[in-house]
Amino acid sequence: MSEQTTELGHSIKALADTLIPYILAVVAAFAAVGIFFAAVGFDVLQAYSTILFTSFRTPNGFVQTLLKYVPLLLQALAFTVPLTAGKFNIGGEGQLIVGAIGAAAVGIMFSGLPMLLLLPMVILAGIVFGGFWAAIPAWLLYRFGINEILTTVMMNFISFSLIDYVATEIWRDPTAGHPTTVPIGAGGEFPLLVAKPPLNSGIVLALAAAVIVYVYVNRTPGGYDLVATGANARASRVFGINVRVMFLLSLIVGGALAGLSGAIEVAGVHHRLIEGLQSNFLLLGIIIGLMARGNLLAVPFVAFFIAVLEVGASAMQRTMMIPVEFVFIVEALILLFVLLSDVVRRR
Amino acid sequence: MKNSTMLEMKGVRKSFGTVVALDDVNLQLKSSEIHGLLGGNGAGKTTLMNVLYGLYKPDRGEIYLREKKVEIQSPKDAISCGIGMVHQHFLQIDSYTVTENIVLGTRLKNRPTLDLDQEEQRIQDLSERFGLEVSPSSLVEELPMGIRQRVEILKAVYRGVDVLILDEPTTNLTPQEVESLFQSLRVMVEEGMSVVFITHKLREVLSVSDRISVLRDGRNVITLPRDEASEEVLVRAMVGEGLDVGKSLVFSDTGLDQEALQVGQEPVLRVEGLQVVNEEGNPLVKDCSFQIREKEIFGVAGVAGNGQQELAESLMGIRPIAGGQASIDDTSIVGLETRELLEMGVTYIPEDRLQDGFLPTANVAQNLILGYQRQEPYHNRGFLDWNAIFRAARELITEYNIMTPSAKEPAANLSGGNIQRVMLARAFSHPAKLLVAHNPTRGLDIGSMEFVYSKLLERKEQGMATLLLSEDLDELMLLCDRIATIYRGQFAGVLERGEFDKYQIGRMMSGVETHE
Repeated sequence: MSEQTTELGHSIKALADTLIPYILAVVAAFAAVGIFFAAVGFDVLQAYSTILFTSFRTPNGFVQTLLKYVPLLLQALAFTVPLTAGKFNIGGEGQLIVGAIGAAAVGIMFSGLPMLLLLPMVILAGIVFGGFWAAIPAWLLYRFGINEILTTVMMNFISFSLIDYVATEIWRDPTAGHPTTVPIGAGGEFPLLVAKPPLNSGIVLALAAAVIVYVYVNRTPGGYDLVATGANARASRVFGINVRVMFLLSLIVGGALAGLSGAIEVAGVHHRLIEGLQSNFLLLGIIIGLMARGNLLAVPFVAFFIAVLEVGASAMQRTMMIPVEFVFIVEALILLFVLLSDVVRRR
Repeated sequence: MKNSTMLEMKGVRKSFGTVVALDDVNLQLKSSEIHGLLGGNGAGKTTLMNVLYGLYKPDRGEIYLREKKVEIQSPKDAISCGIGMVHQHFLQIDSYTVTENIVLGTRLKNRPTLDLDQEEQRIQDLSERFGLEVSPSSLVEELPMGIRQRVEILKAVYRGVDVLILDEPTTNLTPQEVESLFQSLRVMVEEGMSVVFITHKLREVLSVSDRISVLRDGRNVITLPRDEASEEVLVRAMVGEGLDVGKSLVFSDTGLDQEALQVGQEPVLRVEGLQVVNEEGNPLVKDCSFQIREKEIFGVAGVAGNGQQELAESLMGIRPIAGGQASIDDTSIVGLETRELLEMGVTYIPEDRLQDGFLPTANVAQNLILGYQRQEPYHNRGFLDWNAIFRAARELITEYNIMTPSAKEPAANLSGGNIQRVMLARAFSHPAKLLVAHNPTRGLDIGSMEFVYSKLLERKEQGMATLLLSEDLDELMLLCDRIATIYRGQFAGVLERGEFDKYQIGRMMSGVETHE
């Protein structure tokens, strides 16, 4: 009995030890930017209440936040899963784009099929194409030991040209002023969860992916192998884990998650392929993964917080003419302070 | 001059965070003496000497040199006071010659031309005077450990030190090299120098020291002249009253009772003409053949880096076997993966625990099951059973006396000795017909060594086979039924219990002799 009590006390203390630096980092980042706002002459309180509460004031704000949340969560997972094995996937952007291309291609080519067939095909195409795009650097790492940071980044640039080609040459929509394809078949569109304001059901898939990833990593022997590889690849190899396969698989799973977010953008949000649909999700995803310190339980919560900030930032720009970039500064400072708290704690 | 006080440390205290490493320690060093500083791991020997050498700043305490108070803030101050130190790990530049390594950081006569003839001559003279034979123009990377250590001592002597501190100098030496080191130290003290000799090996300290001080848990226990010291007294001082010296395995001379000496008949591991090569195809282990039977502890002696690790890793499936045969219970293990070997019942205590056996960011429980995550009871229908894992971890933490607040604690917070206990707990708690143990007692205090020895003997009694690779000859001679000596990847000879001879093994370790 007493042992259980101490274990519980231990857990509570550990949770407090984790949360307090985060709260301090957030407060410190807002305070630092607040001083700057005040110096430039903006209304600090109004700006912050816009940033923090836009998501919760109107149904529309909340739906906007959830729509942002889906790609941010999946991008963060695409970065965090390989990170668990000690590998850096900086190619989530390219994997999202290629996943979106795959989803759009299937959605356009088989546009006549009913939803029961087309929607799963569209989703699957996104996952497979995204996974394939990550499999190239993963295989180069597995076979030749080429650093995955370089190759995943370079694959992003290839994907930019690829989407340009697809959206301007193959399935170009001549009526659009921006490189865009024709719409996918109606059977490939995600059904709506809420009709007004429109919220598609992609969020269900994203949350399911987060849960599956968390359970796999924390509850299965394969997940144990992944964590052990990230903790010390050499020791894991000495004790029988095939770490090179772990590197390979973790990167491909990361790519598949990013590809899924590409499919959701196409089939849920735009219903077509649009150049630039990757937004800045990659960088935000990396920031989320690092803020969560690679903890897969923390990632969904941190991602939601960043989605709130992002939606609030757009609102602030619209209503108060304060550039959204200020919120990037806040996000960067939070990350900086979270990382700094590690250094402080070690002293 | 003789027997005047050369150096005195008074009331030294040093703490790291909440851990008090040294508490009110005094040490008096006379001129012309070899002073043995004895203590188990973590007793504070090295910390005390690092304070003297200016590497640590003490919280309290004073240092007097020839009865004058000195402030030592850095190794530079220490050297200018005439204090030199030879560390356990040498700080040498491999691609430099002996002369270049020795003069590095000193004032040179011909600085612009780097003409080192004069310096080389002086080094030659010093090396002859002290019997520290070394060729000044050879490259350091080509020298064996024993010679590299001479270079390190010459470095100190060249700088004209009066006090020389040697931290565990005999760790990587053959018995012959130890003898020759001791002779050189004798010459030095006869010329008026003083030597502090840090060690945890009783027999060495008794054979060479004039006086002996014992530290335990960061405190002085006793200081004795050589003729008043005996093994018994020193052991008591080192380990306190907690250990029954009479029954202790670590200090037993004759070894074990007859019961423990029984060896079975059936071979468990058979190795025939084993070859291991590096990436360039050069052999690291050549033509090794041996068998380990049931109830046998088979020892491999040798100076570090002669193929021990490669031998162990090839048997564990970590390195490929390039040639020859190896089988366990008549099943060939050539080409098997580590995972398959672990499932067959082979287990491993790696030498380099931090690199090869330890997951710093994972918790203690996760570390304890590494390699066994797919076995009962940790694994249940595709999922890990964390309740079973933590239950097993808590039992192991108690049984192996691992100092940690909880099984959920990040393993990075464990100390070196506790990390080693995790390695031992993992290896001993899973039933294995063959254990490959490489330096399993490195970094452990005497109480824990005792524990490892009793666990190894317990395995033996249960009929299981052990391959024990160790650099500690006393350990091998105590535990093993047979000892092979490995030199440059080849067995120089295998001795049976009863014909163990430290000096013969030493000669085989340095390649002078082979035994058929």
